[in-house]
Amino acid sequence: MAKIVLDRLNERFTAGEILETGSQHGNEWARVAPAAWRQVAEFLRDDPALQLNMFVDLTCVDRMPREPRFDVVLHLYSIDNKYRVRLLAGVSEKQAVIDTLVPVWPGANWFEREAFDMYGVRFEGHPDLRRILMYPEFQGYPLRKDYPKEKRQPLLRRLPGSV
Amino acid sequence: MATEPSAPTETVNVLIDGKEHKFPKGTNLLEACQSVGAKIPFFCWHPGLSSPAVCRQCLVDIKGAPKPVPSCYTTVADKMEVTTNSPKVLDVRRQMLEFTLLNHPIDCPVCDKAGECSLQRHYFDWDGMRARNEGDKVHKGKVIDIGKHIVLDQERCILCTRCIRVCNEVAKSPDLTMAFRGSHEVLTTAPGQRLDNPYSLNTVDVCPVGALTSKDFRFSRRAWELYSTPSVCPGCATGCNVEIHTSRDKIRRLVPRENLAVNKFWMCDEGRFEYKAVHENRVLLAAANGRRVTFETALLEAANLLRTDLSSTPDSVGVVFSAQATNEDNHALLRLAVDGLKIQRVYAGGLPLGGSDTILVSADKNPNTTGLERMVPPPVRTLKDLASDLATGHLTTVIVLGHETMAVPATTPVALIVLATHKGPLVDAARVVLPIAAWAEVDGSFTNKDGRVQRLHAAIPCTGEVVPGWRALALLAGQFGGELGYTSAGDVFAEATQRHAFMKGATWGPPSPPVQLRFGESRG
Amino acid sequence: MSADAPLQLESRRRIVFGESDISDFDDDKDLPTESMPLMMGPSHPAMHGTVRIALEVEGEKIKTADIQIGYLHRCFEKEAEYATWTQIFPYTDRLNYVSPMLNNVGYAIAVEKLLDIEDKIPERAQYIRVIVGEISRITDHLTCLAAGAMELGAFTVFFYLIKAREWLWELLEEVSGARLTHSYVRIGGVVADLPAGWPPKLLDILAKTRTALSDADKLLTRNKIFRDRMDGVGIIAKADVAGWGLTGPVARSTGVAYDVRKDHPYLVYDRLDFEVPVGSTGDNFDRYACRLAEIFQSMRILEQALAKIPEGPFIVDDQRVALPKKRDTYNTIESMIAHFKLIMDGLHVPPGEIYSFTEGGNGELGFYIVSNGEGRPWKCRVRPPCFANLAVLTKVLPGLFIADVVPTFGMINMIGGECDR
Repeated sequence: MAKIVLDRLNERFTAGEILETGSQHGNEWARVAPAAWRQVAEFLRDDPALQLNMFVDLTCVDRMPREPRFDVVLHLYSIDNKYRVRLLAGVSEKQAVIDTLVPVWPGANWFEREAFDMYGVRFEGHPDLRRILMYPEFQGYPLRKDYPKEKRQPLLRRLPGSV
Repeated sequence: MATEPSAPTETVNVLIDGKEHKFPKGTNLLEACQSVGAKIPFFCWHPGLSSPAVCRQCLVDIKGAPKPVPSCYTTVADKMEVTTNSPKVLDVRRQMLEFTLLNHPIDCPVCDKAGECSLQRHYFDWDGMRARNEGDKVHKGKVIDIGKHIVLDQERCILCTRCIRVCNEVAKSPDLTMAFRGSHEVLTTAPGQRLDNPYSLNTVDVCPVGALTSKDFRFSRRAWELYSTPSVCPGCATGCNVEIHTSRDKIRRLVPRENLAVNKFWMCDEGRFEYKAVHENRVLLAAANGRRVTFETALLEAANLLRTDLSSTPDSVGVVFSAQATNEDNHALLRLAVDGLKIQRVYAGGLPLGGSDTILVSADKNPNTTGLERMVPPPVRTLKDLASDLATGHLTTVIVLGHETMAVPATTPVALIVLATHKGPLVDAARVVLPIAAWAEVDGSFTNKDGRVQRLHAAIPCTGEVVPGWRALALLAGQFGGELGYTSAGDVFAEATQRHAFMKGATWGPPSPPVQLRFGESRG
Repeated sequence: MSADAPLQLESRRRIVFGESDISDFDDDKDLPTESMPLMMGPSHPAMHGTVRIALEVEGEKIKTADIQIGYLHRCFEKEAEYATWTQIFPYTDRLNYVSPMLNNVGYAIAVEKLLDIEDKIPERAQYIRVIVGEISRITDHLTCLAAGAMELGAFTVFFYLIKAREWLWELLEEVSGARLTHSYVRIGGVVADLPAGWPPKLLDILAKTRTALSDADKLLTRNKIFRDRMDGVGIIAKADVAGWGLTGPVARSTGVAYDVRKDHPYLVYDRLDFEVPVGSTGDNFDRYACRLAEIFQSMRILEQALAKIPEGPFIVDDQRVALPKKRDTYNTIESMIAHFKLIMDGLHVPPGEIYSFTEGGNGELGFYIVSNGEGRPWKCRVRPPCFANLAVLTKVLPGLFIADVVPTFGMINMIGGECDR
């Protein structure tokens, strides 16, 4: 459907940066090395042939027990050309860090906060990386596969003297 | 089944679905295909039994053969070209399944096997055709009491003959046979005979459908409500690997787990009922001097008793190890009693010998005799010595691990500190009772008669004041100021492997919490 | 100061400012100059959907706005990992709970793509999905307009539009059995056919809704108070649409004509004739006008769909995807097994992943589904349109007055269930 996106990516970047590409059920996807995350994103936004300027979604998938454990998944769209692409970058559990995309798309701010909240993946350079859906004292990262659904959290006590 | 050729074995080249593979000569084609990911359904084949090729479900196309060939009955040959997923093969599979389903009763809502039924699984994975037969199905016998533990439903039987082969080949007792022909063929015993060999419940495990069901388990739980945990049977020194199936923190049944080195795919009937004891007659609360006290008070009382006697008459203090206890419990007792308290009188034993056979059952009805023998240093006295020493007053205080059924008069002057799982005469006579966990509630290990150290996993949580034996002993050690330093059973195991030669090389392995049967691969 | 002496103006000033003489009072020095934190919500009549906007205000002007969501987080994604594919439908109902059919449809389409049965969905089922989807879209926009108007003081408009919404929900209740939590769509089609005699009822209700809308329009669109509060307030720049991922009426009000139904048609939208209203300034009034015009376009779609809908099955005929008929289930072993496995194991979706998107009430509703071959998903992510739409308010609100937060937030149409999931 939008094979040109994958072709341009393979032209512009090396095999060490674009690790794998594919097309499945009408979705084009490319696996990116985490070190090249930001450059690939900027290229896709700025390349005149592609203009994948619209930020659609950023999330994370826990592929346990595969290594690297987490896949950071980004979906982009071009309003003018109607192309779509999915970028995946594998980050391991020990080094769960990847570059932030907030300078490229300001809308990535909340989506990255949610990925951090739910999976514990940190975004290097994010202006305000804190939990967004869960309350600040929440312990753990709930959407990870080893977080049991029924897990209880410690009860919070009110500060003495407050209402 | 390896795809890598090993130097002395001859290998053959086989083309499966267009991909070239190497297998050792003599490999079964069905197993070969499974090992490379070419899935083939089957009913009558079983890795532990002979291949009769009756169900015709595993038919594959081999180039040069005039008809599809049953892969369970074929050995790999050089330059064989096998197709397992062409439209023709898939169609053949559907047709064979249609025949099997033709007279199958619509029993799923009431059939025990539903949820772990091979027929359901293969229909859903490989078929999807609607029924084409109209009119009545052939009726056969329904609820037939065929043996001590088994109920037969002849209508559900798909005539795969796995049960017959289990009785013939595993139990060595040919109790079952097929009678009549065609659509009226039924599974039955000879007139007047019963299916009551000591391995009969294995037929329930291998039966792909709900034709043979266990009287003990039927209608108690549905398969998808069960959680499965791997463990080891505590019935005898063979140590058959089992899966504990639990629901709502109660064990519902035990089924054998594959271990080609120990029990292959089977276990004896008697071992299957070991689970009942976990929930019956348990000691759940601590006691001291005949009264219910808290666990802490009981520990204090035990420590006081020991301290007094160890300082005045150390030779009259004894410790009794148990061949029913896990390696961890015995090791913790060793550290506390022998290393720490320097108790000299060491006794050890277990349940008396019982019947055995040449198949799986050992005469030694204790799961951990070998572990006990290799762990406790000599001189070790027997339980007979213990009984006589208790009667003649050579002992004043004894720490006993287990041995609840030992006949001791309730009026005995000896102060018995018993770490008990079940009620019994010894518990009635005890001065201090500390409740400890049974085999299904702990992570631990048993050593079987061949010296194999096998891992238990906890399937249900401890109730009441029950704690694992090693933890009770660690708490008791704390009363004397010595810290054993155990935070988990894994710590005890790690220390034991360092100290005991027979445990060197044994691994604790990853944790294996209960897994829901529902979303895994269906059994059967 | 004695308590019973009448307070003079000057002495009142003294109490407030602590000055002995009013002429000693110095504005620059004595007025408080720190900005004040002001929590709007989460328990606030205008913060519908439960959200807290932590404002820092100087006087009435907002300096920064920190929008804190998550009060309605109910762990949709975690629950979806433990439920079979069909069991997720009730969860999707509760995402954007004022347009539940659109969520149902979006999720069903995503799973159907993974199963590769998109082209096997019967045509009648596709038309039914469009019809109930558009009714849901109308109820979504009606809710937004009604609540938005009420918060500005126009209670009558609220009652007119909510009454219309109630008629539509009564219609959907006839179809699905529930007023709001329909779970009407299934993988492969819908759960049951439209009831007999329902289409004329729908046309009747649409006529009545038109009357209610025209009444509301007359009360609002050229109302000075309404226009003053909405015109030029909460302007979102057209250039921000791509950077912030804005979609739906929020994006269209700025002039970006992106509608999934037109740009990437799904179901039978390519056979139906409708327009996509586009605004120009991106202020609150444009969002209101876009939604109002979209309701009329949805009604056009509904009339065409009702005219064109063919007879036929309402769900795909494959026993491994859709439950077989009860008559077959009770009388044949094959259908019994199929029914059993569908309910207990869930239908088997081949391993793969897909991002499927439809036009929800608020914009591009995406479902990113990862399957590993089991009867339940490995991951089922919802891309909520109002999550991105709400995020842009962190840029838009600073500089506005506190009172402007109400219509701006209202016209974004943040639905808590969708934003927090």
